[in-house]
Amino acid sequence: MTNSNDNKKSLKSFYWLWAILTALGIAVSLYAPGYLMPESMSQTMHLSVLTMVVFSVAAAPVAAGVYAAALYILRNWTHKGDSVPAAGPAFRESGKVVITWTLTSVLLTVFLLIWGLGALAADSAGSTANPLVVKVVGQQWVWSFEYQGQNGTTVMSNDLYLPKGREVLFHVTSLDVTHGFWAPQMGTQVDANDETITDLHVTPNKLGTFDVRCTQFCGLNHAFMVTQGHVLTPSAFTTWLNAQPARS
Amino acid sequence: MNRTKAIGIALTSVLLGGGALALAGYSLASATPHQTAQKCVPNPTKVGHCTLTISSYPDSLAGGHGKDGGAHPDWVSYLNQDLSVPANTVVDMVVNQYDGGEVLNNIFFDQVMGTIGNVAKYDGVTLSKVAPDHVGHTFTLRGYPGLNGQSGKRIFLNVPLIANEGENAVKIGSGEYPKPVVIEFSFKVGSKGVYQWNCEYPCGSSRVGQFGFAMASYGYMAGTLTVE
Ligand SMILES: [Cu+2]
Ligand SMILES: [Cu+2]
Repeated sequence: MTNSNDNKKSLKSFYWLWAILTALGIAVSLYAPGYLMPESMSQTMHLSVLTMVVFSVAAAPVAAGVYAAALYILRNWTHKGDSVPAAGPAFRESGKVVITWTLTSVLLTVFLLIWGLGALAADSAGSTANPLVVKVVGQQWVWSFEYQGQNGTTVMSNDLYLPKGREVLFHVTSLDVTHGFWAPQMGTQVDANDETITDLHVTPNKLGTFDVRCTQFCGLNHAFMVTQGHVLTPSAFTTWLNAQPARS
Repeated sequence: MNRTKAIGIALTSVLLGGGALALAGYSLASATPHQTAQKCVPNPTKVGHCTLTISSYPDSLAGGHGKDGGAHPDWVSYLNQDLSVPANTVVDMVVNQYDGGEVLNNIFFDQVMGTIGNVAKYDGVTLSKVAPDHVGHTFTLRGYPGLNGQSGKRIFLNVPLIANEGENAVKIGSGEYPKPVVIEFSFKVGSKGVYQWNCEYPCGSSRVGQFGFAMASYGYMAGTLTVE
């Protein structure tokens, strides 16, 4: 029995390490996404950042437990010499431990699943009946965007102009190989496929400029397949749209 | 195996692996042809302007690709592809277009965009748009001056080159071409950096969207514009 008491006493340093690393992990999870992720300019991006924070916080005690155990084992249970060490006590026979880790894992994964499905549903659903439709055309190695202008005309642009506060429905397609339409600050990214139109919704909620990049390696100048997006006030957007030459 | 020996073997394999990678990288880098960039010539009568003249050909026989057109004499090409202009100048560009052409796959590129006035002169006639079914190549320059993030002056410039339908009349290098369609346009550059340009007319044949071969290799339908 002295043996088991010794074990319990010595686990104290493991618990301390676990607690400290967990606190550190939670602190990093709360602050790092704000610094490392692009500025949020839509509810979609806001949800992405929030998901990142919540998942990181949930993962912090798990990761901290693994690191704490590894450090604790390295420090206390390192076997010295060339002889084969004797087998340790069988961990698996402790019902309490097995039930605890199984239940914790189940709860964590079910939480991730529910959150993930909710976020996916929020992202995919269009909320308004009258979104602004923008056709996004990827081709080697330039983006072009098509809008419905006045009197059924078409307007085309290399810059992506969007009005603030109105839902935008992107019809994403490609004229050649697969490209990836990514607007980091909008939190939207989807593949642009040849002869296929993929729908993507977003509602910009902040004025300013944002980036547009290609995320599928698409050949020679893939790295330069970039352009700029602009979120304008609805009236500035209308002024811009009406000033563009009709293309058809 | 003792510890020192094990560490020695591990270190040696890491060094050997690193060396092999470095060798592969070095030989790939030296296999890429490096041409001297064609410099924009300062205009003695217009302060702050320089003139850059390039040409587009239906093949690679006009020179610049080695004897008899080099590895791919039948590939369409621009001469030159790598261009250099001084910072904060107006570039007066002249393109001699010797190649024929057909239909653009995106009518977006039938419009002259990003030049001063959003126009170009075609054999002396000023146009802002050309027929989309009559395009030989495009000179499309875009992006940010460098790979280091999306900073610096962004450029988006597109000039469609109309198809040349003349009879062969001139010899350049080992090729024969019609009299060129002369396309003139001007644009401003800002501070130092490297921009990329390429053709947006599907002239590469083969592969998806006719963007293979000449379109998928440096030295033919793509190049750089260095602002220095
Ligand atoms: Cu791409
Ligand atoms: Cu071309």
